[in-house]
Amino acid sequence: MKDILRAFLATLLAVLVYSLAGGAGPMLLVVLNAFSVVVLYFSVRRGEVFGAFLGTACGLVQDSFSLGVFGVGGLTKTLLGFWAGFVSRRIDVAPFFRNGLFMLVMSVLEMILWVLVTAVVRRESLNFHGGLILLQPLVTALLGSSLFAVERRFRARGSRGA
Amino acid sequence: MPLWENRRSVLILAGLAAFNILLISIQIPRGAEKSLFERSIFFLYSPVQRAVTGAVRGLGSLWTNYFDLRGVRGENQQLKKEIFFRDQDVRFLEDRLRFFQSEAKVRESLAAFRGTIVPARVIGADSANPYQTIVLDKGSLDGIGKDMAVCDRFGNLVGRTIAPVSLKETMVQLITDKDSSVSVVSAVDRLTGSVTGKSGAFCELRYVLASASGGQPGEELLTTGYDKIYPAGLRVGSIRSLEKDESSPIFRRIVVEPYFRFNTIDIVAVITKAGGGE
Repeated sequence: MKDILRAFLATLLAVLVYSLAGGAGPMLLVVLNAFSVVVLYFSVRRGEVFGAFLGTACGLVQDSFSLGVFGVGGLTKTLLGFWAGFVSRRIDVAPFFRNGLFMLVMSVLEMILWVLVTAVVRRESLNFHGGLILLQPLVTALLGSSLFAVERRFRARGSRGA
Repeated sequence: MPLWENRRSVLILAGLAAFNILLISIQIPRGAEKSLFERSIFFLYSPVQRAVTGAVRGLGSLWTNYFDLRGVRGENQQLKKEIFFRDQDVRFLEDRLRFFQSEAKVRESLAAFRGTIVPARVIGADSANPYQTIVLDKGSLDGIGKDMAVCDRFGNLVGRTIAPVSLKETMVQLITDKDSSVSVVSAVDRLTGSVTGKSGAFCELRYVLASASGGQPGEELLTTGYDKIYPAGLRVGSIRSLEKDESSPIFRRIVVEPYFRFNTIDIVAVITKAGGGE
């Protein structure tokens, strides 16, 4: 129950980040996908089922703020959550660089899937914003792995204090 | 039961994927009304977005108002508001004069036009492609509905309101969106066509016959009002380049640079009633 509440708050936080990024500049929205970071973080923490549910929720929230086809984000993030949770249960993704690489691979897979689904649904080529969109997985991986690193540091400090 | 226990996660994934695919498939072909589910999610989360933007702006203005000169700030805001309306008036006057109307008629149109502007703040951009939509902090309670023209503070066309329109938030389809279409006429050579977005910084002027003469880079494009959404005479953009379209021998390929600047649209004007086409 606590995790569901945390995931809900994290989704709200993603909406907050998305709102701030939209105000700061349109190009920031292209490179920064806060919803993906939330889905990746909780999928690694809680596993594939939780990740898939959270992916659906986050993807649909993201879709509701977009004129694109409603459900494309939901589908891609559902699969992202599932994959991330599934793989992280089978290999150790705790070390910083491995974590970063893992998130990068997951984000790239999500982007490929998003591009494919959007191309099929809309039957036209996508706007890659001069290649800027390709930075999105990199930024997502960097933010996600940094989030884990910060959390680890806090936990270590907490356990030393105790 | 054993199947559920063994393959629980895969079955859940399949269920969720099927749910999303169902959502996607009910919207194909595109152009149908937004589903109740999608509208509900927008209604649920748009106040969060509004609150966040409001809180950030509130904190910013708290800092500015209390640590800066309060009186000057207030006066400045008032002046900005007046300039905003003045700009709209001037732009509208210019556009009407361009259509060779008499001054009396211009004033008459302007009086009717002025009462129909609702200023609104931009509180968000499209989460997938920023050139598709923006979200405004005014909604149905402020008299905003679907299919109303939206201009920036200089009177340049930004887009039109689309569903969902909630009580205090509205989504705007930008003219740069690839599903957007605006009926326009060029100011000098009177080329008529339809400006369609490309989900990027530039638009395209479509349906101008290859045999049509005229059209110069830099020539201004104005709305015609034929589409019954955008009032006639609003400034849309200027022609950036004209080329022969290799893929279509019938039409010319004309790239248009919209006048509105994405980075500077913080306040916009929603025209709640069309001033009437020509």
